[in-house]
Amino acid sequence: MLRLRNIVGQCFILRRHISALYITGDKANENYVTLQPFLDFAGTFRDKVALQQSIASRGLNINLETVLTKYAAYQTQQKHLQRLEEEREVVTKELKSLTKSGDSTELLDKLRARGKQLRNDVKSLKQKLYPIEDDFIHDFLHLPNVLHAHCPQTDVEKLIYRHKPPPNAALVANHLDHKDLVHFIDNNRYYMMEQAAHFDVDAMQAMARYFVTNGDFVQTCNPDFVRCVLLEANATPLTQYHLVREEHLLNKLNTAYLTGGGAFESFLGTITKLSVYPSVLPLRYVACGRSYNREDGLVNGPTPSLYTATQTNAVQSFVATQTAEQADAELEQVLNLAINFYKALDVPFRIVYVAAASLTPSESLRASIEVYAPSLKRYVCVGRISNYGDYVSKRILFNTRRDKHYDFLHLVGGPVLYTTRLIAALIELGIKLEANKLPGALQLGPSLQAMNQHQRDLQEFKDLFK
Amino acid sequence: MKLLTNVRKLLLLNCRQSMKQRLMTTTIKKATHDQPVITSAQLDELEQNALMRHHKNNVPRIRQLVEALQLSRHSTEEDTLQQLAAELQQLPNATHPRLVAYDNQPLELAKYEHRLHPEVGAKQFSELARALNLYRMEHLGNYTGHKSYYLMGQLAMLEQAIIQYALQSLTRNGFKLISVPDILPRDIIESCGMRTEGERTQVYKLDTGECLSGTSEMALAGFFANRQLTEQELPLKVTAVSRCYRAETSGLHEEKGIYRVHQFTKVEMFAIASPEQSESTLEEIKNLEIDLFKKFGINFRLLDMPPCELGAPAYQKYDIEAWLPGRQMWGEISSCSNCTDYQAKRLNITYKRARDRAVVHAHTLNGTATAIPRLLISLIESYQNGDCIQIPEVLVPFMNVQHSITKNKKIPETKLVKFIRSA
Repeated sequence: MLRLRNIVGQCFILRRHISALYITGDKANENYVTLQPFLDFAGTFRDKVALQQSIASRGLNINLETVLTKYAAYQTQQKHLQRLEEEREVVTKELKSLTKSGDSTELLDKLRARGKQLRNDVKSLKQKLYPIEDDFIHDFLHLPNVLHAHCPQTDVEKLIYRHKPPPNAALVANHLDHKDLVHFIDNNRYYMMEQAAHFDVDAMQAMARYFVTNGDFVQTCNPDFVRCVLLEANATPLTQYHLVREEHLLNKLNTAYLTGGGAFESFLGTITKLSVYPSVLPLRYVACGRSYNREDGLVNGPTPSLYTATQTNAVQSFVATQTAEQADAELEQVLNLAINFYKALDVPFRIVYVAAASLTPSESLRASIEVYAPSLKRYVCVGRISNYGDYVSKRILFNTRRDKHYDFLHLVGGPVLYTTRLIAALIELGIKLEANKLPGALQLGPSLQAMNQHQRDLQEFKDLFK
Repeated sequence: MKLLTNVRKLLLLNCRQSMKQRLMTTTIKKATHDQPVITSAQLDELEQNALMRHHKNNVPRIRQLVEALQLSRHSTEEDTLQQLAAELQQLPNATHPRLVAYDNQPLELAKYEHRLHPEVGAKQFSELARALNLYRMEHLGNYTGHKSYYLMGQLAMLEQAIIQYALQSLTRNGFKLISVPDILPRDIIESCGMRTEGERTQVYKLDTGECLSGTSEMALAGFFANRQLTEQELPLKVTAVSRCYRAETSGLHEEKGIYRVHQFTKVEMFAIASPEQSESTLEEIKNLEIDLFKKFGINFRLLDMPPCELGAPAYQKYDIEAWLPGRQMWGEISSCSNCTDYQAKRLNITYKRARDRAVVHAHTLNGTATAIPRLLISLIESYQNGDCIQIPEVLVPFMNVQHSITKNKKIPETKLVKFIRSA
């Protein structure tokens, strides 16, 4: 019995957890509603074939027919509710006009009784509707985005760009053997020294600067915590990030997660419920910051290394457009900027469209930037750019007004650089960790770490006269 | 019995004879069972120090435990010993004798004035940054957390420019850059003198039980934990750029906006020195800080902090406060401390002394090069000039040679919808 109660309790917790994004009226008293997503039933179910294909290609355990049946039940109840409310409105109006004209009390009493009856009917129907709504809406929110035409629907990724073939060296030193550059303790804790430490900061800044100067991006600095409601809106698996234990949490459902300011989700806070003028579109942001994804690197295991580490410096891109076509063009533009950046390092890298099964439900397409990691004898992801369509915008109400109606914006973005993994690969490939050759790098004379003591003294002397 | 020896060693670490001697020496002798346990007079001295620093006074508890230990001298009271060890860990560091006379007030050592500010009419950071479309802090609590903020456009670039400038200055002065972790085990944070439990802890904890670092000093101290250095390596000076997480909150009007936030970026200095070097190393760190803020051209003052402002680990501490013309107040933008061997003992950071090859505890020091949010407040409020903000000359090369911060029309204004009816 106790076990059963535990299981029921766990199910309850799981169910409640989802509700950070959607809370039905009966629970709104105890749980604060922070966001009401725009639920586009018509748009979602318009092309059932594409939706079914997306579910199947992603390998999701969702039965679309069942969801549609639930939708039909939900619609029937909603229509019934609507009818009752319309009738109630008519009765109220009649009551008002009769009271004013002072007509027969008998009719008034009759109408009052009908009004009361209707009020009770609405109340009981709503109570009946809540579980139906809860059940259907949560299934609806689990439905994935449709896939982009470029997304491979098989298990195999699609190569779209490659620079330099991987080296053939038989014996490669692991980056962790370079104790002068890397001190690795576990996936949460590592230190980088000397050129690796400088490259960690300089490469991140260079790339952001390159996006600002050559891509017309606006630089931002974003928060490191993202609450559950936004992760759910972005369909991010909550296991990807560490939960932050807060002492005084006001809304128990809407807990905080440590994403880092260099995570895509961190941008969502500033665009949630935001209404923008078309003149600011396409809106292009780029942020420098930390990223603390604890699952992302595990595919590069099982041996823990800089490839599997949770924390990294990252450059995160974010673009919002009005149309799908513009979103496609922007994705291409971000990829072009990234290609120029990695080409400058002359590192063997490739860009692939990831197979549908690897996407999160909100992504319709993902391009992965992968650098060759000699110790793993394969490519590792050092960045990715995804197309989210208007899937996420609808959930967080990011819109632009056009002729009295709302257009939800198309989102493109993702981390274009994870410094930690790139540094590991560069060390193993024997490529010097020099950020000054990167596009966007500051050209302020010889790099400081490269100066000898005499040069440093000379520089200090020169600085005295500044 | 080994445990007893360790506790007695700890007792001895905290009860050296003269104040001066206690401050600047390290203990290398091994305690034996025959040595006397801490005396009442020594405990009085420890208590006086804790009270002077407004630190939690746990000496009465230590007294009780010592008495209990003395009564059961020949039996192994492991529990008592453990409790005693834990209480001893909580004691604050000793205090520099010159601070005793400060009567809980900081002493202003110098004032640096580079700019003329209007007495009235200077705008605050939030007003200036919002008018330029470069900052957002409102309506974010439900999405990115309490007191979270976005810096946009040139303000975000200014953050990176400050980091680069600080790193350039520090590396030229012999500091080595290290990339540090922000997620740390609890014991490292506690070894640095921060409490991780209790109602008023400033430390964020994660679902895994690990903690978020409040300053890279913790990660850097952890990096050197259990290391034995040589005297030739000292003073060893390192720097790190890290994200700092602090659970502290403030309802004070003067701390509104980004003055006190839960997350920010900081460039930190950390040094390991021999006891003979630590005073001069602190002066070097202090001078570097002064030099940085002079170059930024802001008005600031140097304070020597009184015992009650030292926290647990610092033996002495300098604060630098910048004048914030919009807020019309001084705001702490930097500080540096000499922790003597307080952290080193807890983290076992030692060095081999050249003259007698003895292994002794080192001294640790730390200082803020640049903590971004408050420095931004100071720079933006100090350099306001009508509709734009002038960029300090030294930062111009790091800002794509831009000389002023102006309104960015590409960034949308914060116009929010409440609800959009579903189809």
